[in-house]
Amino acid sequence: MPRITIDGRPIEVEKGVTLLEAAQRLGVHIPRYCYHPKLSVSGNCRMCLVEIEKAPKLVTACSTEAADGMAVLTMSEKVKTARRDVLEFLLINHPLDCPVCDQAGECGLQDYYMEHSLAKSRFPAEDKVRRQKRRVLGPHLVLDNERCILCTRCVRFCSEVTRTSELEVMERADHSFIDLKEGRALDNGYSLNIADICPVGAWTSRDFRFKQRVWFLKKTPTVCLGCATGCLTEVHHNENTIYRVVPRPNAETNTWLCDAGRMTYKAVQAGDRLAKGVIKNGLIDLEPALRETASRIDEAHGALAVLGSPWLSVEDNAALARLAKDALKTADFSFDFSAEQGVKDGILINKDPAPNAAGARRVQAAFGGTSFAELSAKVASGAVKVLVTEARAAALLKDALKAGGARLIVFAANRSEIPAGAYATLPYASYFETPGTFINFQGLERRTQPAVTAAEGVKPLWAMVNKLAVYSGTSLRLESAQDALKGIDLK
Amino acid sequence: MENILLKDKVASLEGYFAAGGYRALKKALAMKPADVTAEVKASGLRGRGGAGFPAGLKWSFIPKDAQGPRYLVCNADEGEPGTFKDRELLLRNPHALIEGMVIAGWAIGAQTGYIYIRGEFAAEARLLERELFAARAKGFVGRNVLGSGFDFELFVHRGAGAYICGEETALLESLEGFKGQPRLKPPFPAVKGLFGAPTVINNVETLAAVPAIIDKGGAWYASMGTPKSAGTKLFCVSGPVNKPGVYELPLGVPFRELLEKHCGGMKEGKKLKAVLPGGSSTPVLTAAEAMAVALDYEALAAAGSMLGSGAVIIIDESQCMVKLLQVLARFYHHESCGQCTPCREGCGWIEKLLNRLEAGKGSGRDIDTLYSAADAMLGRTICPLADAMAMPAMSFVKKFRGEFEAHAAGKCCGPDGGAR
Ligand SMILES: Cc1cc2nc3c(=O)[nH]c(=O)nc-3n(C[C@H](O)[C@H](O)[C@H](O)COP(=O)(O)O)c2cc1C
Ligand code: SF4
Ligand code: SF4
Ligand code: SF4
Ligand code: FES
Repeated sequence: MPRITIDGRPIEVEKGVTLLEAAQRLGVHIPRYCYHPKLSVSGNCRMCLVEIEKAPKLVTACSTEAADGMAVLTMSEKVKTARRDVLEFLLINHPLDCPVCDQAGECGLQDYYMEHSLAKSRFPAEDKVRRQKRRVLGPHLVLDNERCILCTRCVRFCSEVTRTSELEVMERADHSFIDLKEGRALDNGYSLNIADICPVGAWTSRDFRFKQRVWFLKKTPTVCLGCATGCLTEVHHNENTIYRVVPRPNAETNTWLCDAGRMTYKAVQAGDRLAKGVIKNGLIDLEPALRETASRIDEAHGALAVLGSPWLSVEDNAALARLAKDALKTADFSFDFSAEQGVKDGILINKDPAPNAAGARRVQAAFGGTSFAELSAKVASGAVKVLVTEARAAALLKDALKAGGARLIVFAANRSEIPAGAYATLPYASYFETPGTFINFQGLERRTQPAVTAAEGVKPLWAMVNKLAVYSGTSLRLESAQDALKGIDLK
Repeated sequence: MENILLKDKVASLEGYFAAGGYRALKKALAMKPADVTAEVKASGLRGRGGAGFPAGLKWSFIPKDAQGPRYLVCNADEGEPGTFKDRELLLRNPHALIEGMVIAGWAIGAQTGYIYIRGEFAAEARLLERELFAARAKGFVGRNVLGSGFDFELFVHRGAGAYICGEETALLESLEGFKGQPRLKPPFPAVKGLFGAPTVINNVETLAAVPAIIDKGGAWYASMGTPKSAGTKLFCVSGPVNKPGVYELPLGVPFRELLEKHCGGMKEGKKLKAVLPGGSSTPVLTAAEAMAVALDYEALAAAGSMLGSGAVIIIDESQCMVKLLQVLARFYHHESCGQCTPCREGCGWIEKLLNRLEAGKGSGRDIDTLYSAADAMLGRTICPLADAMAMPAMSFVKKFRGEFEAHAAGKCCGPDGGAR
């Protein structure tokens, strides 16, 4: 294993480890643009040049593998000069867009300029190469060719990660520009990652553009619930509004995020977000809605069933299980576990669109209940008069409900989720607003963290269930999410 | 001394064969491949494409245990301004290249060779195809070469018109069907070249020297030229001399001899001002420096320049150095592949500075900026094209600063010193 020194500090690394990676292990950040840990090395930006003692030329740290005995200098005068020079080259044709650029505040050019250069421009603005700006390419992205520093990260992402190869570098020299191949669209399901990895403001998200200066954003680490993959994410928000969701790269699950997952936040602040109950088709205040629901439950005289949901957290499913067992006193509680799990596109998106089938299994293990087939047959036979479930899970019993004619009571966050024919709908706080425990397809525990707060009166689902139980005459004694988790083995 | 490469009456297969052609191939096929390589090493033959890397050594870098195909590629892209020797060689002695490639293929264990020829050389490509056809018909190329059991197929591939495709790894990209852009090295082509397989790339002139070396022995070849710069070299001379053209001379020939004896001196009324001794990419020499230098790898390096491709560009007193550098900068700006930041941005910047200076609109500060921008490009890129812009630029400014200053002051530097 090669032993080298970096700025005098010794380190031993495995064969094949580059100087940039070795430096990173010592906490030394070598500036870079084209390098990305998950993409092939292209070595084109020349920002990562470092000195190796006794070598005639500087080398690119991103592409040079450590070899025994190398004495690497990352802060020598030669290296500093090279960085300044490369930055100057990058900036000569760069537009003066910072005041209107979304990247400002998290821009590779701004950051390294402040750290490594601070030189005055020697290039007349009128000589700058002009390129196309504001090119809408695909449903999610806009490209500004003038801001591009031609690091080719975006090109490599599309050829190596999504393998769709829509992008290419056209032309040569300082007239080079990133372009879509003829007849192609940039809609590969992962396109917003491009806006993340673009080190400058060349690619911007159509969704995020001009909405918010990045330095105002607060960041909350959480989990995507778009499918069973359960990618780790970071939600960026300010003043109780979410502006974007970005990945929290990790070795276990994800470096990237899919476009659909990123857009899941939209539902939270959508116009059809429920803050009240719905009875038949009419909105009514929460308390009367709960009262109405409780009386329909009463009327059913025990002909009740509850279906848990893989879209809900462990806590919320546990609350539903308790509702069935302790308040409604029915053994007809179940889940549908028929969905197959596994990454379906070789990248991230899971065959199972629900985030928590594995968590639901833990709840079933703790509370028992019937099989889905039995429950379904009972609903279809008309033996069940009232079914309580979550809006998306209700679809699993669509035919049975039609056949048996049970009254459907659902929990829904958005009005558009409410299934046709639902009798009563109760709102609940989404997992952008409340903590919840999920278990992804790999069996890894994932917890959401609230980034924003729900509308007045809108409570987590377990708390709604608690209230509903009270209206039906039983106390489940659920005071906190912790209470709901009691008795469940998450392992 | 007899010419090895530029000979008369060898343009056709009959003529070449009558003059002893393909004798070396027969001899080589009876030798062990490693011995062929050893002979080329002993000859001291160095790459004639510009970098001067020892040819035999390059061949020996092909990993001995490499499985699968290996390739031999001839670089006939000849696109550097002032360089026109390979073309002449192809026209006058195509079979020296073909024979040299079959021998090299045997030495490195390649069964496929490509001649990557500059796109504009349409007639030369046709000629090569025709001569290849003739050589194939005689069993010198193709299956079972001369009954030896060795298969070697040779293809002519026409480039599409980019100077950068002369850089060996950009050439490989282009040959594979991609945009011609130099690759990061390592890995070097000997390990991972064409289609990922071990590959040797040599210049036309390098490969064409191989048959004579095998025929007469490495020691014979090494006896010509200087100890470190062995053999003969093609010098292509352009500019206001009486007899511009391609000359084959032993390495180490004094520039003065090339100019006065072979090229018939400067044209009537023209006075030597400067020389680009190895093509447009090499640092310029003043007349005095040139007249004192010998044309070989070491002597030119000691004089602060390079032998390069052997393109000797003669500049006389009536030519404006600013204008000349502007022409070069326009070329490199146009030809930079655009991958590396310093080259992509620097070439254009330098051209813009020169446009301003040449038009009499520049300032003294622009001259300094020009020099430091070139300096900032030097040695920091994937391929040496950036250096090829930077080196002449820096040497022009250093050695002819007066002319740049005259331009900055709004005057032309020409002999009349006229206002612009
Ligand atoms: C920009 C650039 C252009 C080049 N053009 C040519 C060329 O046209 N022909 C050539 O033989 N070598 C050219 N070279 C040199 C090749 O990269 C390579 O060194 C050479 O083909 C190796 O052959 P040799 O060892 O026989 O010289 C060029 C290099 C650069 C950087
Ligand atoms: S658009 Fe962004 S990611 Fe793509 S090459 Fe330009 S700077 Fe790099
Ligand atoms: S793959 Fe699944 S978990 Fe990951 S971002 Fe997309 S929807 Fe979310
Ligand atoms: S130095 Fe210039 S031509 Fe060579 S790879 Fe870099 S950008 Fe391309
Ligand atoms: S990060 Fe190494 S060259 Fe770009």
